[in-house]
Formats: sequence, C-alpha cells, structure tokens
Amino acid sequence: MTFLRLDNIKKNYGDASVIKGVSFAASKGEFVVFVGPSGCGKSTLLRMIAGLEDVSEGQLYIDGKDVTYEEPAKREVSMVFQSYALYPHMNVFENMAFGLRMAKRPEAEIRAQVMEAARILQLEALLERKPRALSGGQRQRVAIGRSIVRHPKLFLFDEPLSNLDAELRSQMRVEIAKLHRSLGATMVYVTHDQVEAMTLADRIVVLRAGLVEQIGSPTELYDKPANTFVAGFIGSPKMNFINAKVSSVSGTGLRLDHPALAGGSLGVDTPAAARVKVGDTVIIGLRPEHLTVGAADPVLSLTLDFAESLGGSTQLYARSEGEPVIALTAGRPELKPGDALKLGIAPRHIYLFDAAGLAL
Amino acid sequence: MRGKILHAIGLAAIVVFTLFPFVWMVMASFKTQSDILASPPVWFFTPTLQNYVDIFADTKVSGAIVNSLIVATLSTLLSVVLGTPAAFALARYDFRGKSDLWFWFISNRMTSPIVLALPVYLLAMYANLLDTHLVLILIYLTFNIPIVVWIVTDQFKSIPPDLEQAARLDGADQFTIFRKIYLPLGAPGIAVSAIFSFIFSWNELLYALVLTRRNVQTAPVVATSFMSGYELPWGKIMATGTVIVLPVTIFALIVSRHMVRGLTMGATK
Repeated sequence: MTFLRLDNIKKNYGDASVIKGVSFAASKGEFVVFVGPSGCGKSTLLRMIAGLEDVSEGQLYIDGKDVTYEEPAKREVSMVFQSYALYPHMNVFENMAFGLRMAKRPEAEIRAQVMEAARILQLEALLERKPRALSGGQRQRVAIGRSIVRHPKLFLFDEPLSNLDAELRSQMRVEIAKLHRSLGATMVYVTHDQVEAMTLADRIVVLRAGLVEQIGSPTELYDKPANTFVAGFIGSPKMNFINAKVSSVSGTGLRLDHPALAGGSLGVDTPAAARVKVGDTVIIGLRPEHLTVGAADPVLSLTLDFAESLGGSTQLYARSEGEPVIALTAGRPELKPGDALKLGIAPRHIYLFDAAGLAL
Repeated sequence: MRGKILHAIGLAAIVVFTLFPFVWMVMASFKTQSDILASPPVWFFTPTLQNYVDIFADTKVSGAIVNSLIVATLSTLLSVVLGTPAAFALARYDFRGKSDLWFWFISNRMTSPIVLALPVYLLAMYANLLDTHLVLILIYLTFNIPIVVWIVTDQFKSIPPDLEQAARLDGADQFTIFRKIYLPLGAPGIAVSAIFSFIFSWNELLYALVLTRRNVQTAPVVATSFMSGYELPWGKIMATGTVIVLPVTIFALIVSRHMVRGLTMGATK
C-alpha cells in the first residue's frame, strides 16, 4: 500500500527551477534513499516532504492524506538534520522530550517514551548531559532519539552521517539499519554517498539536477542502470566507459571498434542490435570489479599506468588512447607501470549505452 | 622578556588612568572638606561617613535614587520586552521594508539628543507629562530599543536556523520558538543590551534635566544640583557620585555572568 506519494512535485526559487517534477511512491515500512551529487535537489525534496520548504507545484500525500499545504508539525514526520540541530541549552533528556512537551503529553508518558528511546540508543548514562559535552556519534544518537520518541509516521534523514569519521559512519549506518528493522517505520534518507545508499536502501531514487534518473532496488540499479549517469554513480570505483563505433550489425550481433579493445574491436550479442546502425557511437560500460587480469580471451588491451595495492586487492589504473580504465582485481598481480595489460570480462557484465547515454 | 615588561607597564598605565578618577571619587567621599581641598593632596586620612549621613538625611538624594531606579529599571525592562521580538523578526523573517526599518533604528541614534530636547519638551508639556516618570521612560525607550534591537538581532542571527526548523517539526509555534529557543540562546546578547540600556538610562542627564522639575529628579540631576551656590560641597558631590555608580556596577556584575556563557556551542556539529 502506498504510504508516501509525491505527485509531480516542483520547486522554483523565482525563475530558477530546482525540482523539475518528481513523482514517486513508497510503501509502508520501506527504506527509501535519495541519492545524487550535490545540488541535485535531494535535500530540498526532503525538506518539502517535511514541510520546511513550500511546494511550488504538485501534490504530496502521507498515509493517504494530502499534506501539500499542511504545517510541518501536523504531518507527523520527524527529521534528523545533518547538523543534528540539538537544542544546546537543554540536556539530552529535554532535547528528546521537547516534541512531547509541545504535544502536551502527561509527564509520566514523556518520561516513559524518552527512557525507552534512550534504552534503544544506549543513551541512558548521558541523559543529564548538555549537547556540547557529547561526542559526534552521541549527538547523532540523541538526534535520532529525538525523532523516535514521538512515533512519527515518517522518518526523514538529511545526510545524517556526513559529519562523522569513517569508522563511526559505518557503525551508525548499521545502527540505523537495525533501527529501521526494529521500528518497521517508513524512512526517507538523503545522502550523496552511494555506499550508504546501497547498504541501507530498500529502494534508491537517483536524482540529478532536479529530475529522477532512476528508481529501483540497489541491485537493480547496479545490474540494470538506465543510463550512464546512474551506471557511473552506483558502484565504486566508478564504471569505465569506452566510446566505441559500430562497424557492423548482423542480427543480434554487433561489432564495436575502439583502439582500447583487444584486436581493435569487440563482438557483442544483444537484442538491442536492431536499434543501432553502422557508424553509430555506442558506449561500452565495464565495471572495474568485473574486469579480470590474465583472462584467456581478453577484451581490453591496455598499458598499465600504476597499481595501488589495497592489501587484499589491487586497483589498476590503465589507459589506451587517452581513455583511462580502472580495474579492481583480487590478490597482487606481478605488474609494473608500462607493462601491457590484458583484461577480460564475462559477456553478461558488458553494459551498452547509446550516444545519449541511455541503456541499450 | 623585555616586551612582556613593557606590556605590563602599558597595561598598568591604562588601569591607573581609567581607575584613578573612580578611586579619587570614592576616597573624597570619605574625606572632610578640608582634607579634600588640602594641597598637596592627602593620601592618608581619617575616613568619615559624614558626607553619606548628610546626603541620606537629605530626602532629595534618596528620592532621586528611587526615581532613577524606577526609570532605569522600567525603561530597560520595556526595551527588552519590546526589542527582543522585533530583533527576532528582523533576524528570521523577510518582509517588505526590512532594510528601511533597520536603517531607521540606526538613524535614531545619529541625531544629537540636544537637537530634540526642545521639541520633546514641548511635546511633553502639551501632553501634560512634564515631571513624570512616564515621560523619562518613554524618551529613554527611544534610545534603548534601538540598542536592544541591534545587539539582539545580531545574536539571534548567529543561532543556526536548523534549530528553529527542528523545533517547528517538534510542533513548536513561532512564539514558543522565540521563548524556548531564541530567548535562552540569545541571553548573552540580551544581557549586554540590558546593561547598556540600564547604564544609559541611569546616567542620562540632558533629558532628565529638561523634562523634570521637583518630583521626578533623577540622581545625576541631583548630583549636579549641588554645584550651585558659592561653595562647592565636594564631599557630598563625591558621595552622591559613589552612590550613583554603585547600583550600575552591581547590576553589570550580576548580568555579566550571562555574557561569558558559551553561546550556541554544541548545537550543531
């Protein structure tokens, strides 16, 4: 059942259009992540759902109710800010109790709710402290605690982990995932970090310049990116792209020419072959982690620039005719800069896009 | 090392320079008239409380201090009560004429008070307000509200907007946000502006002289009133001066605690 629905939502600041018509629906209990580069409008979209920004056009529904013009507090949503936004003059208990006090709940209930949230987030020992006496991770947990005490219909997270160091970030990521499981609540989470998006989301909405590029589960986005933007954004290191020319088309077979390809060309079998003709540009997408060193039947013939050992795996930077290619390979291949590098890939891992960047 | 010594000497010179008149006033208030006029000046003397006994025996002085307290306290209180919501609006909302309003607050202080003394006197006379507490409170408000608005607007602007938005999501209305978030976090700025307002109202002489007669004379007016006649009663003037300075000093000490308190530390990141 649809719980959150965005119906052609738009946002304009004067003449500048920031969100150019976003439609999307999430069902109850889903964890949705908005991801995209900075300036894509993901935070604005989240703040429109919260009611902190006016909707210029379109409709917004939460739990079947049109809340497009509803006051933030009446939407029964809670938000965790990137800056945490804790009230600095109140202790942890009062920070978490503030929303309940605003709702004029009886003191006993406030106490019970805050203690419950403190227990879940292991904040019991810190209830008397002021925010300035807490570490970044603790502040983060208080911010989350403040949002769960009111049992909102919808949780919103605005880049909540971006102020934390790497270790704490992955730890908090796990805690948020656990929280989502135990509360069974609907959550919308904004991040520019595709790792956070991949690990947390049931569904990812990829945004660019105020428009939705693709919506899908993390594996869908990884396996079937709709265009080169999504293909490049999801997955780390980034997918390699090679702009090849079609030299022949026969039935479902395509022959693509590029100097980086082993033997100067590559034959692929694709039902999309009918849609291209000789002379067209086709972008070949190859994920670094799918490329293998020393394959019997190599696809790429390159020169190694340098290799980075990550301990268990090695990241290879290679090039041919100016096109940089990154490969991620297990172990430590015996290679040095300047060596010829032959890379293979399984045919099912070859992605093809047309000249405009759309998946073929 | 030499730099440090010079630094210390410089600081000491400034301290002596600023504190000497104050020390001299307090010392003179405990001297007899002949000790005060002695040349060379007397540094060690038998202190006397006679000057204080004299000025407090004179109901004029104690009455004036009460008047000053009434006027300064009420005008400070009112300027904070009226000025802080204005500062909140200026800091957080965009509205038409905002910059004009802002400039108006500043331009208020550009006019020399003496220029307005006569018009204000006539206004007060026609309104039948001469020699009342009210007229002084009103006229001091025109000086104090801009001070409060300037200082507090700046302070409010430094409060992260995320806090207000978090409070809105928590269900707080504008007034609650103002009262529960902005007032406590803006306390240092409010305290500073309150000190300024109080000190200004307490020390103001020109309008107090022009607008009051007998009933509502404030302390500075009474202090100057000793300076008429053939002999200057220095001991009484100095004792009155000391008594005038005391409440302001105490008030400043009380509120200065708020000034040094960490402001919005720990609110964000």
